[in-house]
Amino acid sequence: MKASKRISWLGLTGVILGLLVLAKYSPGSDSSTAPQWSVQVLKVDSGDANLTASFQIAIYESLIDELNKTKQFKQVLRDGDRNARDVSNLLILKTTVQNYTPGSETKRAVTTVGGATKLTVQSQLCKPDGQIVVDRTVNGNVRFIGSNLKATHNLARNVAKTIKETSLPQPSTSAQAQSGQP
Amino acid sequence: MKHTHIAQDHTTAYALTGRPAVVLLSLLIWLSVTALAQNAGQANTSTAPFSIRATHLLGFESAPDNASGTLSIQENALQFQKDGKPAVQVKIASVQDVFLGEESRQVGGLPMTLGKTAAPFGGGRVVSLFAHKKYDTVSLEYVDANGGAHGAIFQLNKGQGEILKNELISRGAHVSHRESESTKECTTEVADESK
Repeated sequence: MKASKRISWLGLTGVILGLLVLAKYSPGSDSSTAPQWSVQVLKVDSGDANLTASFQIAIYESLIDELNKTKQFKQVLRDGDRNARDVSNLLILKTTVQNYTPGSETKRAVTTVGGATKLTVQSQLCKPDGQIVVDRTVNGNVRFIGSNLKATHNLARNVAKTIKETSLPQPSTSAQAQSGQP
Repeated sequence: MKHTHIAQDHTTAYALTGRPAVVLLSLLIWLSVTALAQNAGQANTSTAPFSIRATHLLGFESAPDNASGTLSIQENALQFQKDGKPAVQVKIASVQDVFLGEESRQVGGLPMTLGKTAAPFGGGRVVSLFAHKKYDTVSLEYVDANGGAHGAIFQLNKGQGEILKNELISRGAHVSHRESESTKECTTEVADESK
């Protein structure tokens, strides 16, 4: 009686362990083997807006930071990075400024309601062949406390959030398919 | 006897006329040596270490954002060192563009903001009118070893931005024509702020 009970316990433990091992190595559950997009962030195009160089740089750097934080992409590459040529499943992020209202930190501190810095950009995620995957208009403002450059940080966070909430198409499993594209 | 005297006179005359020539020659040599030394000194000053206090706002290699420290030029590299932390640096030759700007910021940080909020009868707003300071900002564009574009922004005391920019240019940093536009843009922004 005792021996059969022990055998059944051992059997049950074996089944549980087997299930755990199966769950771990099943193809659907392992995210590291699933194909993932990489993204290359291009420099910010100021468009017709009278945007200062420091704002363009701040948006670009904040975008790279925020996209890295989301961990949605396998690699976040910079504009001009030569490694991008060898990356399969690459998306390109283009940012074009549509509207920029320069604000004033002093005015914000004095009036509370005035002096907001406002930024509106068009964010496009494209495939290397030019096919647009995501096209959104995103805002970034600083209304109350903070320096004017904080608007760029808010904007980058909103862009990263928008991209994360958008369902991207499945990247191709074979690198060959991507590398064959121009 | 007379002959000898005349000869002696000639020697004295030669000695008298020759000495200024020697003095002149020595003076010329000394002057040229001094000039050479000055040139060498000038050459040294262009590679002499340059160092100023700055706040790193963002983007410069692995330096933390909004960190105060020392921005210096060591030989051919621009280096930023936060107090008590190891320095990070970028080769000046990799700098693709330098932009100058101006920014007006509130002073005192969070304690001052809280104090102004707590002040009765809107007194904090009056303080805000005067509690701001103008700074220079220097924005750099540079490339890494893979050709990837980077941007960095530093905040400096008023008047120091131009000095840093000139120093970078003299040591081989590239500057595009956009520079003058950016200055114009910044002036417009400052004008807007002062409205």
